[in-house]
Amino acid sequence: MKVEEKGLAKRDSLKKIMMKTEVSIMFIIGILFIFASLGTQNFLTSYNLTNILKQCAIIGVISIAQTCIIITGGIDISCGAIVGFSTLMVAMGQARWGMGIVPSIFVAVVTGVIWGAVNAALIHEFKVPAFVATLGTQTIIRGLIKVISNGGTVSGIAPQFADFASSNILFIPKLAFVWGTISVLVFLLLRYTIFGRNLFVLGSGVEVARLNGISIRKTTYAAYAFAGLLYGIAGVMLAARINSAIPTAGEAYETNAIAASVLGGASLAGGLGSIAGTALGTVLIILIDNVGTQFGIHSFVMQVITGCVIVVAIVADQLKKHPIGLMNHLKRSKKTTT
Amino acid sequence: MEDSIILKIDNIVKTYPGVRALKGISTTIKKGEVRALVGENGAGKSTLIKCIMGVEEPTEGSVQINVNGEFCSAKSVLDAAKLGMYANYQHVNIAKDLTVAENYYLGHLPKNNLGIVDWKKLNAESQKIIDKFNLAINPQDVISQLPVAMQAMITISKISVNQNIRLVIFDEPTALLENDKVQTLFHYIKELKEQGVSIIYISHRLEEVIEICDTVTIMKDGEHVETKNVSEVNKDYLIAKMVGRKMVDIYNIQHQKPGDEILKVCNLFGEKFKDVSFSLHKGEILGFFGLVGAGRSEVMRAIFGAEKIYSGDIFISGKKIKINSVRDAMMHKIGFLTEDRRSDGLALSQSVELNINMYSYDLISFLGIVDLKKERKRAIEYQEKMRIKTPNVKQIVNYLSGGNQQKVVISKLLCRDPDILIFDEPTVGIDVGAKEEIFKLIESLAAQGKGIIIISSYLPEAMGLSDRMVIMAEGHIAGSVEADELKQMREEDILRVASTIYDEEVAQ
Repeated sequence: MKVEEKGLAKRDSLKKIMMKTEVSIMFIIGILFIFASLGTQNFLTSYNLTNILKQCAIIGVISIAQTCIIITGGIDISCGAIVGFSTLMVAMGQARWGMGIVPSIFVAVVTGVIWGAVNAALIHEFKVPAFVATLGTQTIIRGLIKVISNGGTVSGIAPQFADFASSNILFIPKLAFVWGTISVLVFLLLRYTIFGRNLFVLGSGVEVARLNGISIRKTTYAAYAFAGLLYGIAGVMLAARINSAIPTAGEAYETNAIAASVLGGASLAGGLGSIAGTALGTVLIILIDNVGTQFGIHSFVMQVITGCVIVVAIVADQLKKHPIGLMNHLKRSKKTTT
Repeated sequence: MEDSIILKIDNIVKTYPGVRALKGISTTIKKGEVRALVGENGAGKSTLIKCIMGVEEPTEGSVQINVNGEFCSAKSVLDAAKLGMYANYQHVNIAKDLTVAENYYLGHLPKNNLGIVDWKKLNAESQKIIDKFNLAINPQDVISQLPVAMQAMITISKISVNQNIRLVIFDEPTALLENDKVQTLFHYIKELKEQGVSIIYISHRLEEVIEICDTVTIMKDGEHVETKNVSEVNKDYLIAKMVGRKMVDIYNIQHQKPGDEILKVCNLFGEKFKDVSFSLHKGEILGFFGLVGAGRSEVMRAIFGAEKIYSGDIFISGKKIKINSVRDAMMHKIGFLTEDRRSDGLALSQSVELNINMYSYDLISFLGIVDLKKERKRAIEYQEKMRIKTPNVKQIVNYLSGGNQQKVVISKLLCRDPDILIFDEPTVGIDVGAKEEIFKLIESLAAQGKGIIIISSYLPEAMGLSDRMVIMAEGHIAGSVEADELKQMREEDILRVASTIYDEEVAQ
């Protein structure tokens, strides 16, 4: 009985900590918001706030995909490159290949799915660790982007298409609505479908999944292809936003996406992650950058700060994984001193 | 007198949540003494070794080693090595991607004046060890390319790299070895003994104990039964003392009259088992017994689609079926409770609810969309039915006690209403209360006409629960005990069958 009680106490304190991480993100967001509103003139303007939301929308969609991958115990370094590739497909489709808006979107999204499937094939068929496999495809895709675009900007996107990104509904950018819709859909996917459940089981252990009759192959392909689909959509959004395709589009997005996932409670060990948390993580990452710029902090310094936030998030993730081990360690050292 | 004592074990108690693994063990080992440690699986031998080596901290009591007249205890494995204590563990513990020589000198590779590894010296020194142990290998061979028996020999010979050895522990060193290698090992043990090194030798093979050891300590259920000179004992005496226990009432369950044959396995071959045939009937509890490495779990994993079947047939209710994956086994209504619930039975970081449902989501969903109401209803139903102690079904499974985790795994299987249930070590690491509940459950499942297979290394459990038993040794079926014989059978008889050394030539 005593053991039971101890277990309960442990659970309660852990739950408190978990609660805290979610709450603390909102808390930090709140503080940043107040500071920036009072301390700078340009932060609390409709122009700046819509701009923040537009940035959040694109990173937000990528982060959701990243969260799905991290839940399975994987990681996707190639996300930024796939987004860049899809952006290029939209621009090339409309400007060079004479496609309409819808066919160009279709091509961009399908290529995203294909790249996801390539990642899954490397990971499942050839047993390449996810980190290495996606690092490899990232380099390949980045190279291909330069080859196809000849290293230059591809402009000539249909004006109606670009209008979508610059227009608002009641001060909220349409892009943010896309982000919101996708968030809700993926939330439902994780909550209501067998596929969603399987992602979590796979993340708890490959053997666990296998011995419970879950096809590792199908789940891996589905997860990475689904992430590819979302990257494709993000690529389309980015093309509309920058009104062209530049070879560096989507660069360094992977860092932000992984950071947003982990900040939002996903564990790199797999089996944990939430869509709401990821959304909050996205807002925080974008906000830090924006507020820094508003205060006139040099972009080089901002990079250092963002890096620190990410490291802190990962350390917190480690502590979350081994709270019991840490407790034992403390207990043991206490015991030997008495 | 104190001088000649090398190891003092003083009233060691070790408790894990819900389990008392060691209940106050005391003994002393003299310089140059070869001490055998015998006892059934679960008697606490491995835990005792871990306490000696500083891997686990004893809850009470102390282990001290005599270092030139001063008594010290090891706080970690590194400490143990500094104090001159080395252990050779049951499972081969070796860096598989490195060479033989690198493994020998792992952590203290010889260096030249520039601080760079002196490969010539490393290989030359390693060759000396290889020659000494008559191993026909090259120092530069990579471990993973060598057979397991050779890997086991390398871990044994690795001990001789060290200087100032005071105590060496061998945990089932011969489990993987052939005869001539066993002789090499015995020769080395004698050599160590002559140098004044003390040995603790753990083995299920009692003949070896009698051949090589001076004294023997018998353990049972975490307690010290007695320590005797080997000259005063024989094999039967040891077995009687190791087992010597009344059959406890908790195994006393209602048995059914077996119905039709539900599962038949014919001449099944796999990587770790050969020519396995047996059958199972409705309402029957079939016990599978064997020592570690006998291949019991592997046979069951193969029937469950988790391991490859090389050849052989499986029939369910008289119909021949093919099992290529776990999914196939699932669809043929086979449920398998794995040996290690933490590594492959449960999704530890997930909720009780998800774990209870994860083996049968297809049954409560439509077009891949899960009926959340049914999911919750089922979870709560099993929480109540199995009396799983948890504040609610959203609780993370990792935070439940062993017994409650096991109930979650069983609930998971029952959600599919399987016809055949295989329990691999169902009571490992769970307390007596939960054990009793699980036995009662097995009783009621048999009464519902399900065919049940129980694998247990714990003989009283296997004998107490089973209607009929199959005994495996070294991948083969070594014998079986029919229902009418089981009552008169003594544990000694079964242990003897299980420890047969299978001789392929004699068999043919």
